[in-house]
Amino acid sequence: MRKRSFLPLAGVLAILASLVVGPAATAGPERATAGTVVVIHDQEPPTLRNDWEDNNLEATALVVNNIFHPGALYDDKAQLVPRLFTARAKLIKPKPATVTFAYKPTAVWSDGKPVTCADFRATWQVFINPQNNVVSREGWQDIKSVACKGKNGTAVFKSSYADWESVVSANVYPAHIIKGQDMNQTFTNSIPVSSGPWKFQSWQKGVQITVVKNTKYRAGPQMKLDRIVWRYILDTNSRFQALKANEGQVIQSQVQLQIADFVKDSNFVVRKGPEYSFEHLDIQLGAKGHPALKQLYVRQALVTGINRPQIASSVFRTTAPETKTLQSLIFKPFEKGYTEHYKKWPFSQQKTISLLKSKGCTGGPDKPSAGNSNIFSCPNVGKLSFRFGTTTGNQLRALAFEIMQRQLKSVGIELVPRFQTAGVLFGTTLPSSDWDLLMFTYVQSPPSKITSNGLYSCPNNRGDQNYGQWCNAKATKLLNAVTTTLDENKRIQMLNEVEAKYISTELPSIALFARPRFVIRSTKVKGPDLNPTQEGMPWNVSTWTTS
Amino acid sequence: MLSYVIRRLLYSIVVLFAASFLVFTFVSVSGDPLAALRVTPDYDPNTIKRIEDAKHLNDPIPVRYAYWVKDAVTDQFGTTLLGDRPIMPDLWRVMKNTLQLVFIAELLALLVGVGIGVLSALKQYSFFDYSATTFSFLGLAMPVFWLALMLQVGVVLVYEATGTRLFPITSLSSVDPGGGVDFLIDRAHHLVLPVVVLMVASMATYSRYMRASMLEVVNSDYVRTARAKGVAERRVTMKHAFRNALIPLVTLAALNFGTLLGGVIVTETVFSLDGMGLYFVNALLNNDPYPVMAFLMVTAVMIIIFNLLADLAYGLLDPRVRYE
Repeated sequence: MRKRSFLPLAGVLAILASLVVGPAATAGPERATAGTVVVIHDQEPPTLRNDWEDNNLEATALVVNNIFHPGALYDDKAQLVPRLFTARAKLIKPKPATVTFAYKPTAVWSDGKPVTCADFRATWQVFINPQNNVVSREGWQDIKSVACKGKNGTAVFKSSYADWESVVSANVYPAHIIKGQDMNQTFTNSIPVSSGPWKFQSWQKGVQITVVKNTKYRAGPQMKLDRIVWRYILDTNSRFQALKANEGQVIQSQVQLQIADFVKDSNFVVRKGPEYSFEHLDIQLGAKGHPALKQLYVRQALVTGINRPQIASSVFRTTAPETKTLQSLIFKPFEKGYTEHYKKWPFSQQKTISLLKSKGCTGGPDKPSAGNSNIFSCPNVGKLSFRFGTTTGNQLRALAFEIMQRQLKSVGIELVPRFQTAGVLFGTTLPSSDWDLLMFTYVQSPPSKITSNGLYSCPNNRGDQNYGQWCNAKATKLLNAVTTTLDENKRIQMLNEVEAKYISTELPSIALFARPRFVIRSTKVKGPDLNPTQEGMPWNVSTWTTS
Repeated sequence: MLSYVIRRLLYSIVVLFAASFLVFTFVSVSGDPLAALRVTPDYDPNTIKRIEDAKHLNDPIPVRYAYWVKDAVTDQFGTTLLGDRPIMPDLWRVMKNTLQLVFIAELLALLVGVGIGVLSALKQYSFFDYSATTFSFLGLAMPVFWLALMLQVGVVLVYEATGTRLFPITSLSSVDPGGGVDFLIDRAHHLVLPVVVLMVASMATYSRYMRASMLEVVNSDYVRTARAKGVAERRVTMKHAFRNALIPLVTLAALNFGTLLGGVIVTETVFSLDGMGLYFVNALLNNDPYPVMAFLMVTAVMIIIFNLLADLAYGLLDPRVRYE
């Protein structure tokens, strides 16, 4: 009787042992050597239809950019390099902008059909069709016609369009697959063909997307790996723990406190560099903002009263201490044309106090003091106490705010926190213009500088996202002209003129820092590297190997 | 009993309507669900206008609620705010995963908790009793997220020291889970840590209740009578004491189901399990009120059903309870 009652217990123990020992034995690091690399990412794409109303996500771009391959892609220097194109597209006539391009003879879809200009034309028609819920028609709607002759194409724009190259070099859909399809329901769960280095294999919803080597890809170097698995882990801490536990070998991440552990770990390589997203402090100049902010000297007091280099180095102290202060609102440090316009506003608390006093402000301190509680009041505009808005739940922003609050208080300027959830901040507060100071990130891409007029032109003259209400007619004229200036050097000169003469002088916004992006990889995997654009780390997937 | 069940269900419908209206209102006023779209550079304003019209976002909240009720009842909770993706297939998928996790955790918590409680009662004030009491309070005191993180860190430390990963720390399956028995073992392996996290607090609760209930029963007159009649101790314990002591636990287990569904949000998020909790968190992050409402309604219905089942089971187990 006693022996029989022992049997179930032994059975349970055996099952438990098999759970521990059995799978654990196969869960080791050897997966990485089998031609598979597991990439951990935070967000699972809702569909595989990128640039749609519900899906303007980097997470989707990372997967589909190597399936719907572009004519030319942005490399790690944010420069366009031909992929499916034989060479970079050519502007053959400036007005209306007329562009020619040609797909390589080796550019084929994985089902054997050639990639042709007809695919580009079909893609253009998808984006201009009002029935399709694309997130933006910018660029596509500026094309008047597309003439195709096999692999060669000519796109004629309605007028001069500065960003012509990124439009014609874009990723293209397979015309033969999407013909007659409702694009709002296409590529929801799978993609049947590929023109890039990998092709879609499977999607286990809520867990992973698997892509495998596209053996038909000849337009560029083929993948050395057999497959790449994208595993989705929402929780930040778990993501990094999973990387340590070898549940994945590569991760691309925004700055996170956990990254500091990997910097010191010899089993991992951490690559870091600035990306297109940049943090800034917008100043409200409209009717609902604090009247003091309409005074230039108050804005000058703000910019000199904040130690911007200290903010950048403190926020990224453990992960990227070399992060530099951003000195331009239009160009990023790695871009051609970057000029340090904001460098003319060095940190000087004494200068801030002197400036305010010279304008008749009273009640503030005579010299900077950490324990100061006296706040300046200025003639006709009242006390320098400003509502400071940003998103809740972001430790780094909270730290940046605390530094600014402390520094400004010591010179007699008060910041009152008004932290809100991202939904409320961006959905309600920002567009309402009912705020004083707002700190947030603009997520941008290489062509963003061409459309800077959306942010800094007058609100009633193409400044659709100019929620700070700054308006300078000369700056607006220049910024709007940039969108139709085809010569890149001329554009750079115009944008720098706007920033030097108007933006960095009138201070509608204060640049803080370009956010660093990180790629962390196990030393067993070689190849994954930074790319500041939305191409992300898979831009060079053909070089990835495992050991 | 039938009239009792019908009455309870009718009450439940009223409660569901009231709760759903309140939640819908709170979710709707908590922020602009199109915020992310609005700050997208060069977004198409026509797209936003079309979504606002299609989802009646500019209508008063009661009107929007009425549209939501219509969709929930006639169209299986309708579609997501953006992308018009049907909600039910995703909800059904995650529901199965969550129920799998919750039932396993509940079952194991009951088995172990009851066992510990009975032994503690039978060996009152013994070393085992004191140990069980200590660990029960520890289990009750540990926050779910903390325990989950500690287990993850523990596995990582072991992996770094030995190169062997005892248990997976994220997800419901391996990259290559295989099929048949391999798949089941892989799934069970992935569920070990989440189940442990989810069952610890429940197990502690059950063991405490079972101990108290058992002590009350073993000291009752009818148990003393059974012993006086010369009934074997094992029979006294199992038939007379244990079965009667179990009755209060039925209610507790059913009520605990709701607590587990709450705990599953944290557990699934930390372990990245494709279940209802993670689905809910994702919906919240996307500011999409419709999946949030679907999650809350399904959860509320499950809790109502389990509470009803608890009441009915109580009547079946205890002849003294009558439904009027």
